[in-house]
Amino acid sequence: MARKFFKSSETSIMINRYSWRELIGIYCGIAVFLFFMLAPFIEGFLVSLKPLAQLFSSPYSFWPENGSFEAYRTMWISVPSFGRYIFNSLLISVVSTIIVLILVVPAAYAFARFRFKGMALVLGAFLAVSMFSGAVLLIPLFRLMRTLGLLNTYYAMIVPGAAFLIPSAIWLLRTYMMRIPPELNEAAYMDGASQFYTFRRVILPIARPGIIVVAIMTFIGAYAQQFIFALTFNSKTEYMPLPVGLFAYFGKQEVIWNELMAASFVGIAPAMVIIFFLQRYLVGGLTAGAIKE
Amino acid sequence: MGQLSLKNVVKTFGDFEVVKGVSLDVHEGEFVVFVGPSGCGKSTLLRMVAGLEHTTSGDIVIDGKRVNDLAPVKRGIAMVFQSYALYPHMSVYENIAFPLRVEGAPAKEIRKKVEEAAAILHLENRLDQRPGNLSGGQRQRVAIGRAIVRQPEIFLFDEPLSNLDAALRADMRIELTRLHKQLGATMVYVTHDQVEAMTMADRIVVLNGGYIAQVGAPLTLYHKPENTFVAGFIGNPRMNFMPVNVLSVSDDGITVDFQGQSLTIDVDVPADRRAALVGSQVSLGVRPEHISLGAGDATMALTPTVVEHLGQLTIGYATLPGHEENFCFVLTGTQMIEDDRAVNVSFGAGDCHVFDADGQAFERKIDMSAMTPPVSL
Repeated sequence: MARKFFKSSETSIMINRYSWRELIGIYCGIAVFLFFMLAPFIEGFLVSLKPLAQLFSSPYSFWPENGSFEAYRTMWISVPSFGRYIFNSLLISVVSTIIVLILVVPAAYAFARFRFKGMALVLGAFLAVSMFSGAVLLIPLFRLMRTLGLLNTYYAMIVPGAAFLIPSAIWLLRTYMMRIPPELNEAAYMDGASQFYTFRRVILPIARPGIIVVAIMTFIGAYAQQFIFALTFNSKTEYMPLPVGLFAYFGKQEVIWNELMAASFVGIAPAMVIIFFLQRYLVGGLTAGAIKE
Repeated sequence: MGQLSLKNVVKTFGDFEVVKGVSLDVHEGEFVVFVGPSGCGKSTLLRMVAGLEHTTSGDIVIDGKRVNDLAPVKRGIAMVFQSYALYPHMSVYENIAFPLRVEGAPAKEIRKKVEEAAAILHLENRLDQRPGNLSGGQRQRVAIGRAIVRQPEIFLFDEPLSNLDAALRADMRIELTRLHKQLGATMVYVTHDQVEAMTMADRIVVLNGGYIAQVGAPLTLYHKPENTFVAGFIGNPRMNFMPVNVLSVSDDGITVDFQGQSLTIDVDVPADRRAALVGSQVSLGVRPEHISLGAGDATMALTPTVVEHLGQLTIGYATLPGHEENFCFVLTGTQMIEDDRAVNVSFGAGDCHVFDADGQAFERKIDMSAMTPPVSL
């Protein structure tokens, strides 16, 4: 029976074989969780297809009648600078990610490979810092930004954003780098390579999947958290990122819901493209053959 | 070139002394094997020679120059690791070329040298592959290729074969011996496998608890072990030790009382120690392979608890009264003996070793020149 559900049932190993009851249970479970997670997106997408008038019709119809992608066109007209907001968001996230990577990759390597005094303390401090949400520190950060004269610039959103992402990135990448066999360092040392040469030619290429995971996590983190920093440290419209930009669809009289939903999906698109692109480099098993385990 | 001296080398980790004063001279072109049980400090010693570990005290001298504080490359050495330590993201070619790339050698020279090394190790057809696609033996050959490409004077091997399966290990052993002949470089090799030590070494250094127990040619260690540790460590199964009482000592050797039989063993006893020895207890050592069925110089009745039939050999284990360790004997061929049935076995006085109460051997008066192949240095 189970064969119909699972193509490879005959070839799969015993521990991976399930009866048809179990398979139905598993797929039902998956369907429930998927629906739970995706329901807002489905609803949002359907709203973006409906004309505004239909949104407030009673009884409410879940499926759009004479739905169209009209909102995806008019959204650029209602908020002309929406393209600018997307660009700002990407710029802030990309620059934050680059800064984080430049700082975190060598730091994680140092924490993974070297033993030095106070290491546990510093690592513990990083963990403690990342427990605070940015919101708790908004007021001190605001004062700091004002003193440094960074308010109402891109820096005001990039610098704190990057700073809050560094601790977790270090922890993540450190764990990955600790799995690179230290024999490789010793071998390179025996071959005459300097610490930096070894780092560049041996460690970095092997750590690439880990670095990409950190890059994706940081990018998503930066994309998500810019809202709060943008609202607090920036009042210039032309520097506003996407989440604040979406607020422009909230008019004085009414909220243009269908365009707002359309804009949300369009705004996510560039980030999705970047993440898909990065994900292609997430190849596992890069250390295969380095040492005999 | 390629002469290595260790002068009273000591290594401590915190309070724990791992290497407790080792002095050793390795001649140019020699194949020296460090052997010993785990934790005896053999790997640590090798890593100090390599420059991976700091030397707590003592001198490491290569070609008359103290190298304690020099980086590995400046010492003119290369090392092959137990775990291969290949760079997984590089092709075999780039792995072997790595030390030359670090030096910044011109591309033409790199190609020439890598191809030479690959030819020696039969890796010509593998140069474009990644280490992940190679078998264990091939990976180890790549690791060796990376070591030989820089043409160092001294090679260090840290248990290079212990990750390979038995058949491959035998092949690689022959390969390494061939390589040593071909390159003529000094090689220092660490292993816990005494077969590797016996087959490949010009000289074996037996280490025990951070000290050198004995240094010598493989057959010297087998025939003339200087102490009970070396006697027990070299040879498989290990030597049987039995306490016996000394009846008399003369120029002909020591006469002992073995289960009521008087046995004269031809060993050298310094004249000033003879008187004190009479009446004392010494250790009589007999290798399992020197025991045969039937009567001989010393005969004993045994009831083996376990008998292993290997076809080529028959191995028996028996418990002796008042003895914790099994008494082991190895008979050639297929012998029709069974466990739990008494047999008479015997050994010749000429095959015996005698050790004093401190475990130090009395030198056997055997003609080593008849047993040792001519040493070519």
